[in-house]
Amino acid sequence: MFRHPICLSPTLSVSHQFPNLYLHGYALPWVTSNLYKRHEIQPVSLSSIPTTSVVKSSYKFSCQNLTRKSRERSNWAHGEENCGMDKDSIDTHIHDLPDVLLSNIFSLVSDTRSRNAMSLVCLRWHLLERLTRTSLTLRGNIRDLLFVPTCFRSVTDLDLSLLSPWGHPLLDFSPDPILLAHLLHNAFPSVVSLTIYIRSPATLYLLAPRWPNLFHVKLVRWHQRSPTPLGSDFHPLFENCLSLSSLDLSHFYCWTEDLQPALETHPATAASLSRLDILTYTSSAGFRSSELLAITAACPNLHQLLAACVFDHRYVDFVGDSTLLALASNCPQLSLLHLADISVLSNARTNLEDDGFTAEDAGISHAMLLDLFIGLPKLEELALDINQNVRDAGPALELLHSKCPRLKSLTLGRFHGICRAVDSKLDGVSLCRGLESLSIRNCADLTDYSLTAISLGCTRLAKFEIQGCKRITEIGIRTMAHALQQTLVDVKISCCKHLNAVRSLRALEPIQDKIQRLHIDCEWRNRSQQSERSSSHTPSKLMNCPTGKRFANWEEEVSCSKKSKYYSQMDSANISYGSLFPCKSWAQLQHLSLWIAVGELLTPLILAGLDNCPALEEIQIRVEGDCRQQPKPSELAFGLSCLSSYPRLSKMHLDCGGVIGYALTAPSGHMDLSLWERFYLNKIGNLNLLELNYWPPQDTDVNHRSLSLPAAGLLAECSTLRKLFIHGTANEHLMMFLLKIPNLRDVQLREDYYPAPENDTSTEMRVDSCCRFEDALNSRQIPD
Amino acid sequence: MGINLLEALNVRVVGSGEKILVLAHGFGTDQSAWQRILPFFLPHYRIILYDLVCAGSVNPDYFDFRRYTSLDAYVDDLLNILDALRVDRCYYVGHSVSAMIGILASIRRPDLFIKLILLGASPRFLNDKNYHGGFEQGEIEKVFSAMEANYEAWVNGFAPLSVGADVPAAVQEFSRTLFNMRPDITLFVSRTVFNSDLRGVLGLVRIPCCIIQSAQDVSVPVSVAAYLKNHLGGRNTVEILHTEGHLPHLSAPNLLARVLQRALSR
Repeated sequence: MFRHPICLSPTLSVSHQFPNLYLHGYALPWVTSNLYKRHEIQPVSLSSIPTTSVVKSSYKFSCQNLTRKSRERSNWAHGEENCGMDKDSIDTHIHDLPDVLLSNIFSLVSDTRSRNAMSLVCLRWHLLERLTRTSLTLRGNIRDLLFVPTCFRSVTDLDLSLLSPWGHPLLDFSPDPILLAHLLHNAFPSVVSLTIYIRSPATLYLLAPRWPNLFHVKLVRWHQRSPTPLGSDFHPLFENCLSLSSLDLSHFYCWTEDLQPALETHPATAASLSRLDILTYTSSAGFRSSELLAITAACPNLHQLLAACVFDHRYVDFVGDSTLLALASNCPQLSLLHLADISVLSNARTNLEDDGFTAEDAGISHAMLLDLFIGLPKLEELALDINQNVRDAGPALELLHSKCPRLKSLTLGRFHGICRAVDSKLDGVSLCRGLESLSIRNCADLTDYSLTAISLGCTRLAKFEIQGCKRITEIGIRTMAHALQQTLVDVKISCCKHLNAVRSLRALEPIQDKIQRLHIDCEWRNRSQQSERSSSHTPSKLMNCPTGKRFANWEEEVSCSKKSKYYSQMDSANISYGSLFPCKSWAQLQHLSLWIAVGELLTPLILAGLDNCPALEEIQIRVEGDCRQQPKPSELAFGLSCLSSYPRLSKMHLDCGGVIGYALTAPSGHMDLSLWERFYLNKIGNLNLLELNYWPPQDTDVNHRSLSLPAAGLLAECSTLRKLFIHGTANEHLMMFLLKIPNLRDVQLREDYYPAPENDTSTEMRVDSCCRFEDALNSRQIPD
Repeated sequence: MGINLLEALNVRVVGSGEKILVLAHGFGTDQSAWQRILPFFLPHYRIILYDLVCAGSVNPDYFDFRRYTSLDAYVDDLLNILDALRVDRCYYVGHSVSAMIGILASIRRPDLFIKLILLGASPRFLNDKNYHGGFEQGEIEKVFSAMEANYEAWVNGFAPLSVGADVPAAVQEFSRTLFNMRPDITLFVSRTVFNSDLRGVLGLVRIPCCIIQSAQDVSVPVSVAAYLKNHLGGRNTVEILHTEGHLPHLSAPNLLARVLQRALSR
């Protein structure tokens, strides 16, 4: 009955070991079939294990890996099966469950490694697992594409963009690309959603006709656009996939002129599009007014539109009042509208010292905003991320709720006067009662009172982002956290002059045990110390500030914030570091994102209050700045080892891509990038990371982002690492360092920045060396 | 290596001009180092690019430790490539070690080269009586021991924390580029380079040479440029670049391209 060997220890705790048994985070399916040969797993037949333990463990296992949403349903299954098991626990076996039930359960498992493990249990499980697998990311090398697995017949969602060598033209390795396209189609006949890296239109000419029913397509390209006529990248797609409904070009480098002619030549496909994402992170060019209007006129049925635009009225053909109104009349069905100025997308931080108003006003008037809202009654998400002043936006926003009753998410950049909160009245954005997510960027006149009003008005807010609002202080955030204790779980505070790391964390104390995602700037110094005077009060007085209650009325609220303002003035000057609430933990915090200036240390983070995060799994650190002007750091290490106090931390995104320095030719007295890399990665081996995404620092003068010798050596010390993605290049012999990591399964160099180095002139890892490295990686014994 | 030499050393021929220009990279880089220089010459020259066998971009298996014991083997590679491409006359731009290779090649086949352009060239890196090459024997031994430590680290997988930081300041720049190659190959090649001494053969060069030298280059002192000018047998010129560093084609490509254009047109 059990032809496949499986390693199960005959205890009830099997489920805890289960996910660790097998190998593939990403599916490397055609290797999977060979696993048994490489494994030195002791074959233990399932029949030698007491039946009950198998039932329990398998169920536990499947339940553990379910997504949150599906947990209730599976608990139901679990409970019912337990009841049955009590009656005749000796005879009932999980394998007695009918296929229908099993496949229902299987389909709820999303974790790839669990799925791979499940498929190895027995032939029946294998078949059921394959039948229910709908999503697959192919990894492995392009030259092995001929051996593509044919067992995933029901995959509908296929990602071909991450094959190795990353960014290589998909069909170039094969002597017969037509055959390969045919093979791909045969292996995955039911694909309707495709993600693919496109270097030239040729790939799509071969692939698109194979899957005419494609519904969602995401194109990826960080390399330079091939010199082809306008729109040729899209022609094969639009020509063959008439039912295309969603097109994602957010990571596809092309010209803004490319899309319009392609859409106009294929009006039927254009009309069927309901989602278009042209919020291009790859390019620095935004869509002009006429382009945006032509695109929206060609796609009248759009429900979701995301676009990077030129809002600056000094440019010809900028996006202004008339454009937005015409856009609304072109696509009245829109439920998601996200328009961002290109200058915002570049992630530039605002100057902390200016007053928050830009020199120029945008060509968008508050009167027009109202007409826009009237024209788009179905809006659920709206983002207008502009980098020039939109003044007096409050009155228009007041009517937003009545005009767009379904609105749940709102992002506003450089909108001023959105909530004045004078005379104890709720006004402006605080009247959008349905909001669940609110993001305010660079609002010059947003005050603590505004935040109070917003927290009283938008009672459902789960996500709140505030960036570059100079007048916000600790009190405002704290009041907000108090008022939204029940709902707020995701907070981002960035670039606010009065909110350094310590203060931000202190302000969030009311939701400390509930918050799940958090972003703060690691700004340790007090920027506004001069403005606040100290007195002799003790910081513990802050604890007396009322907690845990929704405020009954506005007056009480105001008086309270005055009181807490008073107290916080006391403490902020007295202590700079030091946790006020040592006993309380950040119980639910799963994802932490940090911004830190180059040269600063990470070590004060623990002292600042983030000392107890039992659930923290993922951390994202972005380091930014020009290290060419920096003196040598006083410490040897950035302080990554201090993160080892978070017990469950397993994933890290370490983004030094914003660090600019000298790669090869540092003037005497300056540290070159290899030494900075050593500074940042020092002691990274102390963390028990499973997955690391690393962006090496760069030398912009020579477009050089390469792993240096110290970095490779330090990364090789992360002995628990399983997946490593380096967003840059590396030399072959440095990559070979990484083979010392015993558990390493998945390594890739992804040059996902524009322009990605062309293959024939890239300094370091080339196609051949990449293949040699992968061969070396895959030929190793696999410990688990 | 024989027939697949062109493939093994990633030889590329680009550009649309009549005259042929060979760009040969130096130590620790590969042909991509010329990337920012290329656009200036693509319209006017047919440019031959290749990687030295010790470059990081070449399959390390091709590096034969018995063969590449002296620069002559590299000269063979260069001449084989030019023959395979049926080049009869060419301009040659060589950086650092490739400048040495160019000098040797032009002695062996003077008819093949119209002009040599020597970028950051040095006939001998070590100091000697009456000769200032830039490096003391002791200093270079330190580099070698650092590289040996690096090699150990590479073999044993220890984090090479000390490497790259604690070598003498004078050779830091030079060692930085060295570490771009596989450590055992680097060590071997750098021993070859530091042991070679071309001072005796400079007079045999008959073709005109242009010596381009950065004003501040820790690997090659400016006095070496004067030495080359005085001792090379042909008609020689010296151009001093007002920039720092051993890799002007990476750090100051516009400046270098102008000087190169001038040197090639004369």
